[in-house]
Amino acid sequence: MSDFDAIDSLLDAVGPQAELPPCHVRRELRERARLSKAQVARALGVSPSTLSGWESGRDPAGEIRTKYAYLLDGLNAKLATETETETETETETETAPAAEQPVTSGTAATVTPLSSPDLGQDEDGDDVELLVAPEPCVLCGHPAGQRVAGFAQHLTPADCRPTATGAPAAPPAGQPTAHTSKAPLRTTRPARATERSKGPARHAFQETSGPVDLIREAVQGALAEHRGDVDAATAALVKRAIPDAMRLLDETRKGARYDVIAHPWIPDILKKQTARGADQIWEARPKWTRHELPPGRHQVTALDINGAYLSALKTHLPLGQLEHSTGLAHDRRRSGVHLITPPEWEHEAVLPNPIGQRDEPGPLWVTEPTLRLLLRLSGPKHQLCEPPQIHESYTSGATENLLEKFRIALKDARDTAIEQGDRVTLEYVKAMYSKFVSTMGESNYNRELYRPDWMHLIRSQAFANLWLKALKAHDEGLVVVRAMGTDELHVIGDWRSVFAEGRAVTEVKVKDTYTAGTDDAEHEGEGE
Amino acid sequence: MPEKNIDFGRFGARGIKGSDAVARKLDELAGGIATPVTAKRGWMARLHYLTKSTQTLKAAQDAGLTVTHRTLKAWLEGKRRPSKTSLERIDQAYRTVRRHNVARHLLRRLNRDGRGTRVEIHPLNQSQVPQQLQRVVEYRTMNVRRWDRIVGSWAAGDHQGLDAAWQDTIVDLGSQWGQYEYVTNVGFAA
Repeated sequence: MSDFDAIDSLLDAVGPQAELPPCHVRRELRERARLSKAQVARALGVSPSTLSGWESGRDPAGEIRTKYAYLLDGLNAKLATETETETETETETETAPAAEQPVTSGTAATVTPLSSPDLGQDEDGDDVELLVAPEPCVLCGHPAGQRVAGFAQHLTPADCRPTATGAPAAPPAGQPTAHTSKAPLRTTRPARATERSKGPARHAFQETSGPVDLIREAVQGALAEHRGDVDAATAALVKRAIPDAMRLLDETRKGARYDVIAHPWIPDILKKQTARGADQIWEARPKWTRHELPPGRHQVTALDINGAYLSALKTHLPLGQLEHSTGLAHDRRRSGVHLITPPEWEHEAVLPNPIGQRDEPGPLWVTEPTLRLLLRLSGPKHQLCEPPQIHESYTSGATENLLEKFRIALKDARDTAIEQGDRVTLEYVKAMYSKFVSTMGESNYNRELYRPDWMHLIRSQAFANLWLKALKAHDEGLVVVRAMGTDELHVIGDWRSVFAEGRAVTEVKVKDTYTAGTDDAEHEGEGE
Repeated sequence: MPEKNIDFGRFGARGIKGSDAVARKLDELAGGIATPVTAKRGWMARLHYLTKSTQTLKAAQDAGLTVTHRTLKAWLEGKRRPSKTSLERIDQAYRTVRRHNVARHLLRRLNRDGRGTRVEIHPLNQSQVPQQLQRVVEYRTMNVRRWDRIVGSWAAGDHQGLDAAWQDTIVDLGSQWGQYEYVTNVGFAA
């Protein structure tokens, strides 16, 4: 009989599994509650990477699934009530604009039930840590409820107001609260924040110069030196763009997690064969013109992608020395160069080959962005080609954030310069990023950085970005006529519905328009 | 010195002497004629370099280019071609003279008025070492302020002197400096 008991208890345990929302909702719930993966994982008793898995496709099973479902359910309920209160607060601030909006109230309220004080404090790394008592934000001095990498700060720029508008007043006394249990927390917390933000710590970070100031100071210095002569100042700034870019890079890497390793051992494939020759890396530069246009005459627009190399600074860059490996599958955490046999490309008539215009068949060394592009296109979403075969790789642990602050600083300076019509800064910024990319390899003009691998990767990323723009145009129903170089895309059709026009890095500008067609003798000759 | 490696590579570690890596990097920074000496363009360029003035010719003769003026003239006019051994000698003399000439400028750039140059030290390769014998050897950087001995012995072609000078430099890394006696690469800019 005891056997049957055991079976019965087993049968009892087998029940309907707890319902879980889809993966993206799980992640969204957690992020809206401003909980870090580490916190949630600790509460559930799993590792953060397991949690990442659950948020990107995998499903937990058994008892842990029930726990996770309970957590998500709770978060869902909390956030639903939270949005209600938030909207109420917003309407209130609208009616009384002088009153400060309680920045921390939302996050603190949602978090308290899960994270006990000791749980929140021993966090480290880049994970966002929630503060039980708000501290002045290092950027604006107002109380912030989160701490990132050891510094209390706001998570969104909207919360972060750059200059002080007087001491933050306590939130309106009669604030509507959905949960009466949390009412005491809400009243005490902002009060403490007010005391703290009045302290001297508030000024600590306002006087130091950031990377953007470095650019502004250089421009002002050059203009003063040349007594306002714009051309002379521009020429002088362009001349010193490389050392200045290196200085800016140093500035942006202050206190960063990874060192910029400037002189690692470089494999032979990345070395130039001769003084004038190239190395063996194929950067997949697109150089493609559509063979046959659809019948009839067409208005072709040549679009120019703004700041292609600037955007391409965001790519997976290998940190340290490249290590050799053979016959391994692609590892998303690493980056480098790979010897692959590219797949057949059957869409040459409408879209360029993602590996560019290659004449010789056979395996070739490509960089990480090209490989990732090929893998992406062979994936279930696009299914445009077979996956590439990887034979050999030189890779190292990678991060996308190595040049991120550098890129943001340059982008901000560029945006401001465009807004103010500041030609000097614009030229200076352009010279900085383009020369930085072109001289970071084996160049005698920049000996401080010897990373031909990065140079190839950044260029390939620019080409891959252009290729993806071509794909986007194609998918949206435009006719792609030409994809050329780093930033040239010719299309037929209403491109304004696909791309935004402007000068920001996310926008495109018109280089040229011309007519072309099959019955036209000068087959797209005018645009060149 | 007690931290020195006695039998490097016994357990499969791979690397080169730190001083050799420094010499390699200095050679790279010194630059020079890229065409190989075996090509006519290459040995001609080297000969022109070595016969530019009486001083360089003297230095070349000291560096082992012991040929008569008659022979040199014949080579430079293209009437004769240097033999294989002569080509080697030309190359050797060129390298010595070039190093000697460049050393002064290189030294000034590396010392940078006493501010020195940041040096990256990439640790030895342990991929072939059995797991239990592998040690954590980190990538290190240091600022080297005094390059006089290093560049001086490099210019003189004095391997032992360079090794000693480099060893005295990396002692500043701290008590684990012995782990950096052998490296995969030493990187610095000038």
